[in-house]
Amino acid sequence: MTSLEERFGDPYQASNPLGHAAIVAADERADLAAGAEAVLDDFGLNAEFVPRELGGRLVEVDALVRRLRPIFRRDAALGLGYGVTSFMAGLNVWLGGSDVQRKSLADLLLRGRKVSVGYHELARGNDLTANEFAARRAGESLVLRGRKEVINNVDRADAAVLFARTSDRPGGRSHSLLLVDLESVDPDRFRRLPRFRTLGLRGCRLGGFEFYDCAVADSSLVGDFGAGTDLALRSFQVSRCVMAGAGLGVLDAGLFAVLRFALARRLYGQPVAALPHARATLAGAFADLLTADALVTTATRALHLLPDSASVYAAATKYLVPLLLEDAMNSLSVILGARFYLREGEYAGFGKHMRDLPPLAIGHAGSVSCQLTMLPQLPRRLRELGEPAPAAVFAASAPLPALDLTKLRLLAPAGDPLLATLRENLAALPGTGAVRTLTAALDDLVTHTAGMPARDLGVQASPAALGVTERYSLLLAAAAATGYQRHNPEGTPWLQLAMSRLARRLTPSPAPPADEREAEDALLADLVTRAEQGFGFCFDRDRVYRTLSN
Amino acid sequence: MKYAAFDMAERLEQVLGDPADPESVFSYARCADLDDADEFPADICRILDDFGLQRRYIPVEFGGELADYQDCVQMMRMIARRDVTVAVAHGKTYLGAVSAWVGGSSEQSARLAETITAGIPVSWSLTEQAHGSDLLAGEVTAHALPGANPPAYRLNGEKWLINNATRGGALCVLARTREAGGPRGFSVFLVDKATLSPDAYSHVPKLHTHGIRGADISGIRFSDAVVGAEGLLGAEGTGLETVLKGLQLTRTLCCALSLGAGDHALAVATRFALKRELYGHKLADLPAARHKLATAYADHLLTEAFSVVGSRAIQTLTGEMSILAAAIKYLAPTRTEAMITQLRRLLGARSLLRDVHEHGSFGKVERDHRIVSLFDGNTLVNLNALINLFPILLRAADNATAPDEEGLRQCTDLAVQLPPTRHDRLSLLPRKGSSFLLGLPEAVAELTRLAGTDDGLAGLASSAGALRDALEDLYRAMRTQPSTPLNVPAPCFVLAQRLAACLGGAAILQLWLRNRDAALAHDTATTPLWRNGVWAQLALDRLLGELGVPHPAPESAYHTAFEVLHHQVSSGQLPSLFSVPLAEARS
Repeated sequence: MTSLEERFGDPYQASNPLGHAAIVAADERADLAAGAEAVLDDFGLNAEFVPRELGGRLVEVDALVRRLRPIFRRDAALGLGYGVTSFMAGLNVWLGGSDVQRKSLADLLLRGRKVSVGYHELARGNDLTANEFAARRAGESLVLRGRKEVINNVDRADAAVLFARTSDRPGGRSHSLLLVDLESVDPDRFRRLPRFRTLGLRGCRLGGFEFYDCAVADSSLVGDFGAGTDLALRSFQVSRCVMAGAGLGVLDAGLFAVLRFALARRLYGQPVAALPHARATLAGAFADLLTADALVTTATRALHLLPDSASVYAAATKYLVPLLLEDAMNSLSVILGARFYLREGEYAGFGKHMRDLPPLAIGHAGSVSCQLTMLPQLPRRLRELGEPAPAAVFAASAPLPALDLTKLRLLAPAGDPLLATLRENLAALPGTGAVRTLTAALDDLVTHTAGMPARDLGVQASPAALGVTERYSLLLAAAAATGYQRHNPEGTPWLQLAMSRLARRLTPSPAPPADEREAEDALLADLVTRAEQGFGFCFDRDRVYRTLSN
Repeated sequence: MKYAAFDMAERLEQVLGDPADPESVFSYARCADLDDADEFPADICRILDDFGLQRRYIPVEFGGELADYQDCVQMMRMIARRDVTVAVAHGKTYLGAVSAWVGGSSEQSARLAETITAGIPVSWSLTEQAHGSDLLAGEVTAHALPGANPPAYRLNGEKWLINNATRGGALCVLARTREAGGPRGFSVFLVDKATLSPDAYSHVPKLHTHGIRGADISGIRFSDAVVGAEGLLGAEGTGLETVLKGLQLTRTLCCALSLGAGDHALAVATRFALKRELYGHKLADLPAARHKLATAYADHLLTEAFSVVGSRAIQTLTGEMSILAAAIKYLAPTRTEAMITQLRRLLGARSLLRDVHEHGSFGKVERDHRIVSLFDGNTLVNLNALINLFPILLRAADNATAPDEEGLRQCTDLAVQLPPTRHDRLSLLPRKGSSFLLGLPEAVAELTRLAGTDDGLAGLASSAGALRDALEDLYRAMRTQPSTPLNVPAPCFVLAQRLAACLGGAAILQLWLRNRDAALAHDTATTPLWRNGVWAQLALDRLLGELGVPHPAPESAYHTAFEVLHHQVSSGQLPSLFSVPLAEARS
């Protein structure tokens, strides 16, 4: 099958209907580039969202993330707008739906149709259990009332998965999930709300639903009555990993853009790419991209291998990866200078990518909700780190057991297999400053979390307590990075840079930054080689069709 | 605490009216619409003209009303807090004119003053498409016309990404007057479009930008445009020097844009947090969210304090502006960008939506403000400028050069009426080092003495001591760097960032020391910030973190800051160290 990259073609070719110029022009009209969705239809992208046993191509989640990358590398609004939300909706049904529901949703998606996922209410944000959209039982049916807002594809979805309050009582059993066939609901009691104008991801069709005492069949219920929160939070474990992974494509494209610029542009009598600061910035962004890739890869593989730990790993990944990516895009923009600010010209795509990256991270799982998922679990998890994770969680080519969504847990057990590997890996590495810093930070985290008072483990947590989740996430990234390099050795010293950057984030140091020019030069050389030979910048070195300028 | 420099700003506020009132011309609603349409805010600029704002761009000695740069900064801030686009569009005239104030003759300046007074925008044409910040590579040429009497020049070439290039009636243009170029190979020409023949120039159409979408960011192409000798500012070959001196002023004044953007972002986020219910609580009552707001406010106060000091230094420590301007132009925009990013995460989905929360103005101010770290020398240019000063600063420190005590006092004692600006004292190098850095040990000693009799100051004194030690460490690290390397090693940029942080910290201490008595003399809403050096300690907390020697301020200081912020935002006051009622306070 022709790859998506090849179908999309060279983004820098001005005449390419799916190149940056066309995408930026479409963005100006708050639209997707004409023909972009047809490419995905033709590719049968929806099949990637449907488990193989239901006729689709979804087997391994890390592979799904890699397959989505070309789309987000091209246009984040295309990735989200075409249908990652269909995948999010699907997860709930694959996990909790009846055989009939699973079959019918799979068929719908395999026919190329869209499904909306309706969690969000503007007044409630990430506070799921306060959701007000309600489904009331009346005989054989459920009566829907209320609104869901900022929902993707409402104007063209055939069905929607809706998160509804089904009990007035507070607590985790007060909501249920419904799969509603929008084509068959009473049109007088249901309305698709007009599209929201957005400042980023402008091509996405975000709207809403409103129901006015609209009856739907009892069989719309996904899973048990009152199981909505449980199903949603377990589905999030997969979607959080996938959405974090989607951002990798954006940074990959941004890194290419700035590399391309730095090689062509001359300043002070030499190419920008010869200036040490520019070289350090490019190499640093590359190291961060690989760190993020290692974390996403590990977290997605953990869904298969360590499913009972996935709630923490997915939350940490969704929390940290967008921060790493956004910071990297920011420092790259400094090299690009004024061109990142222009909505026209060769590098307009970079500014658009930079603008679209942060909203990609909001979704239905903003950073604080990820932190609040991790926080209450950390003391128990870190008391004893326990057995290290199996090598297969890092070894990218090792076969994975089938994804079993029912093994995902709301609360992870004691022990932290990934951090346990970090301890081993740090002990085996040469004792550089970064290794010492990370070792000390790990010890400190373990000691600190053991003594955290209960009041610091919920929404009322002190800022310092909430900050512990960031330190945990950074150490998890270090575990992923060291583990990845150990089981999939790369020839470049990327890990050295990755570690020193993670160490700096964890522990500020008054020492002047070390000169890491040798490692930076090696990473930059790798970047240039990949760019010249047509390979992407993530670990899998996927084939890309983008040209450096002449 | 009241600060007289805000008087004019308050008057301007009253003229402009409540920006939240969609009926007012200069409202958030209207600015959002203009932004959608990429439309220049012409009618809003006219209101500012009617107010006579442009006369504030003209120094008093040339017949204008610019007597205190601080007035100008705070007025521009009031405009930027409503819409950075308007501030950029109108304030550009000062940037356009500064070459004349710095390098022109009295006649030239007086002539330009008339142009400005008439409401004609003036533009500054420095950059070119192929060279960006590398001014020495500029290819626009000015050739002396052989045998012309009186002498005249012929301009050729294109200037690109120029604010108001199209709408401006006059421009100051940096052009190559010596084939070989070099530091003495460029000159600045004041070009009045009205005197050019129509075929001697054309405009590069407006470029579409991510932020300040309505601004006239365009270009101008000269083809044999003849400019008389009266257009040459200063002697031939002085162009680069004039521009670099002018940039010392404009880079410092750019802080007004960051302050205004920060004012707005903070206010939007605070209002949101005060209303928003989440997990059964008001968002603003959740400790982590409250801390995030207080931290943002600490950053904002830091930027404000450094900006006040920096812009007062134009008139009091004029010869030190090379270092101050670079440090402020680095610190103010990057701090503000980081602050807005943090606040955006608090806002969540609303930061993405155009019509749901306050006209989408949070997302707009984030986009708009990003221009500030780009123009007038971007972040790297300013850090480079600081790196170039390492040797001279080390020499001053090694020689224990005495700080300019009188300059420091005039600069930081806000009760002091500023002396007139002496543009002739601007210097490309701070020959005697930086008085703020040289005066830091004595400031710390003074604080330590105060803390000896006042326990409440122990925290600030300890942070100040850490700052002094950090500066010593920084000097040590600077000494290990090669002097004037061809290609600056990457770690040098981190040292330059730390230098900016030390300078900012030193300025903050001076500002607090010289004004604490006045601030505590009358009880106002901002008094809790000044008592026990709360704001200074918070600001140092932020800076010491960046210096790698964390000295967290106590949670009680953050709590105090949040309470003041809460009060200021809910009562229509500026989020500031000073008591400044905004137009909102009256509605």
